[in-house]
Amino acid sequence: MRIKLTSIMVDNQDKALTFYSEVLGFVKKHDIPVGEFRWITVVSPEGRDDLELALEPNANPAGKTFQEAMFKQGIPISAFEVDDMEAEFRRLKGLDVVFTREPTRAGPVTLAIFSDTCGNLIQLYQRNAA
Amino acid sequence: MVESETFSRLCRAREMLRETHDPPLTIQEVARAARISPYHFIRRFAALFGETPHQFRQRARIEHAKHLLALGPYSVTEVCVEVGFTSLGSFSGLFARRVGVAPSVYRRRVRTATQVPGRLPDELIPGCLTLMGRLPAHAAIFEKHPLRTLTQTE
Repeated sequence: MRIKLTSIMVDNQDKALTFYSEVLGFVKKHDIPVGEFRWITVVSPEGRDDLELALEPNANPAGKTFQEAMFKQGIPISAFEVDDMEAEFRRLKGLDVVFTREPTRAGPVTLAIFSDTCGNLIQLYQRNAA
Repeated sequence: MVESETFSRLCRAREMLRETHDPPLTIQEVARAARISPYHFIRRFAALFGETPHQFRQRARIEHAKHLLALGPYSVTEVCVEVGFTSLGSFSGLFARRVGVAPSVYRRRVRTATQVPGRLPDELIPGCLTLMGRLPAHAAIFEKHPLRTLTQTE
């Protein structure tokens, strides 16, 4: 058993693919039409290309309620690791990404939180040198 | 960086835009409720949510309309008014552009496919992963059933 696929619910798949590829820099792996929706996954060019993130249409009312509640409470739905938080923070700010928390040291990690423009907050973290 | 107070107001504004008011709130009224000038409200809303308040509201209205057409005993005109449009022409036009078919065609198609009265038809809920939770057990592996939705039932 392996962990190979995880997913994020997005309020609009077109918008999500643009943000996750053009802004975050991930690479589209699959984009398959499934009726009214699409099966879209992206991978990180800095990681293994078989670890996929699915951008799932958030059309289930229960999913919407969950997503909005988490967002309103300021809770990130997922977290991505970066090597250089300051550089990534500056790069994303330059692309008009909205942060709800600027890079903050929290023990062994430095954290930041931004909006993915698709209804989610995402956490970035960098592992600090011991 | 968005401060938590502004963040909360923008979240509340998003809820207001989804609510139906009679007459519908103007974007200026929503901005005023959020205590942000209309110009900054539109910019900050779009930066946070990826679309302008107007775009968000239109999308929310179409989604709401899809549910009502599929579920309720409503005519297209009733749905148009209920979700907040004042013109049937602009509702039908926008619906057709976003969904691909006119509201009346959509209504007929989805209802034909609905098996349990009053329950959200499967076509409205994507079944990609267990998270979305509606695929029957025999179809739970996505790769084996990549096209099991609207395209098959048409």
